[in-house]
Amino acid sequence: MGLGTWIIEIIGPLLEFLGPYLPGDFFPSYFLYGWLHRPLMASLIVAIVAGLLGTFLLIKNLALIGDGLAHVSFGGIAIGLVYGGIGPLWYALIFSILAAILIDQLQTRGILTGDAAIAIFLTGMLGLGLVVMRIWGGAANATIDGYLYGNINIVDEQSFDLIATICIIGYVSMLALYQSLLSIAIDPIAAKVQGLPVRSIGLYFSVLTAAIVVSMVQIVGVLLVTALLVAPAATAQLIGKSFRSCVILAQLIGVITVLLGLYFSAEHDTGSGSMIAYSCYLYDGCKKFIQSRR
Amino acid sequence: MDTLQQNHIVNCQEEILNVSDLCVFRSGSKVIEDINLSINCGEFIGIVGPNGGGKSTLILTILGILKPKTGSVKIYNDSPLSKNVIGKVGWVPQTASKLPTTVQITVKEFIRLGVINKKSFYQLGKQQKEKVEKIIKVVGLEKYANTRITHLSGGQRQRAAIGKALVSDADLILMDEPMVGVDRESRNSIMKLLDGLCHQQNKTIVMISHDLAGIKQTVHRMIYLEEKVRFDGPTSEFPELSSLALLRGIESTHDEAESSEQKSSNNEAQIILVPGSGGKK
Repeated sequence: MGLGTWIIEIIGPLLEFLGPYLPGDFFPSYFLYGWLHRPLMASLIVAIVAGLLGTFLLIKNLALIGDGLAHVSFGGIAIGLVYGGIGPLWYALIFSILAAILIDQLQTRGILTGDAAIAIFLTGMLGLGLVVMRIWGGAANATIDGYLYGNINIVDEQSFDLIATICIIGYVSMLALYQSLLSIAIDPIAAKVQGLPVRSIGLYFSVLTAAIVVSMVQIVGVLLVTALLVAPAATAQLIGKSFRSCVILAQLIGVITVLLGLYFSAEHDTGSGSMIAYSCYLYDGCKKFIQSRR
Repeated sequence: MDTLQQNHIVNCQEEILNVSDLCVFRSGSKVIEDINLSINCGEFIGIVGPNGGGKSTLILTILGILKPKTGSVKIYNDSPLSKNVIGKVGWVPQTASKLPTTVQITVKEFIRLGVINKKSFYQLGKQQKEKVEKIIKVVGLEKYANTRITHLSGGQRQRAAIGKALVSDADLILMDEPMVGVDRESRNSIMKLLDGLCHQQNKTIVMISHDLAGIKQTVHRMIYLEEKVRFDGPTSEFPELSSLALLRGIESTHDEAESSEQKSSNNEAQIILVPGSGGKK
């Protein structure tokens, strides 16, 4: 039994209990029917981890790395869809992690500065994916939309196991490295003087980011990953009183926006991934507007 | 001379930092050479010099961030960043101007970051938490413990940065222009705080500054650095601003008939006024 199945067995009864109390005609289905628990749980788990990761990405001024790595993963997904074998997410994971390591090394060694490394990998791998799909895509072209714009219904059992594993490892690692990541983001020299392995932690964080981004691809899509990664964390920064509160709020806002996105997509058939991304944006916009009026 | 300076009593004479024949290159060009320093516990040292004179390079080499081309840096007879040295050196950057403005971090959270190290990087123990509270009081920020650091004034932020360096129990505190963006009043109170740390807790402080007048009243020993150590001695013997040109080798006090090339070579020979005498009293 995979980790995903195990999680659903534990949380399933709670979701079924909550179902009847929820608004809408179609939205409660996510809670009431066992076969919809998987996409719902995948979205919620991803939102929580993305909130935590997004907070660290923002303080490191790396808001767009998520977008870059998601586009890189598209190259892997395209090859995965064409050649099959293992699930496309595994290909995406390999591509994304390799790119994250290369970007990290290019930046830390000063070969390419700023966002240049991200930009090169983003366009290169997206191009590769599009070429592969164009030449050998065939029937797989129908599935690619789900990866581009996100479609929680393509999360199968194998993918969910992978998503759950990545998210749990990512979440636990980030909590364990919480103080170190914050310390390095604020003053890497001080962190090094204090004896923290700054380079190793930086590399591990890059790999973790790549893996978490891949876990988000089926939920919000390659093009919209940044929305769930950055918008909740940015909103949390507006209202948080401390870093700790920002971390908690970002996860909470992520969950709220995912539920809002799922509600509107279920009731008005707007597409789950795009609606989650749009509700992240709306929520962020509303908060900023309210705060500017104060 | 400042009364604080006169009352300065160095309680321990142990050598904390030794720099010998240090030569450092950055991006292929020589930044500092022939640096020889011996710094004892409890000293408060100001490093001054022009832009590009190698002040930050020297500090970063002492910290172990930059590697020397030749020569060595020894802290308690060990290399920087070695096992025995970690935790004994504190670092205070130009916080007032360099702290990221996007980070919503409170003073307490910020100072806590100073405690973490390789062994305890996850959760702070009770003892460490108490130490953080104590340091917040030492730097006079108890009222602002839960205030976001971005809401503090430049001087208060600097106090927080000093707190972060102190909380690790560092004996040697290195500061890179900590007074940038700090108003005169806060600057005086921070200098007083640092002086107190040297006297009461035997901390050794090495501070880079552009504000010669500001630090001259408090520090015990001055180092003028421009590629080489051009002056190293007690603050009382540091030349007035008007004669600083002599240190820099810009003007010659010798025969005016000499060619400009000869002038500079002559100055090179005589500008080291008090080579490596130190500021011990």
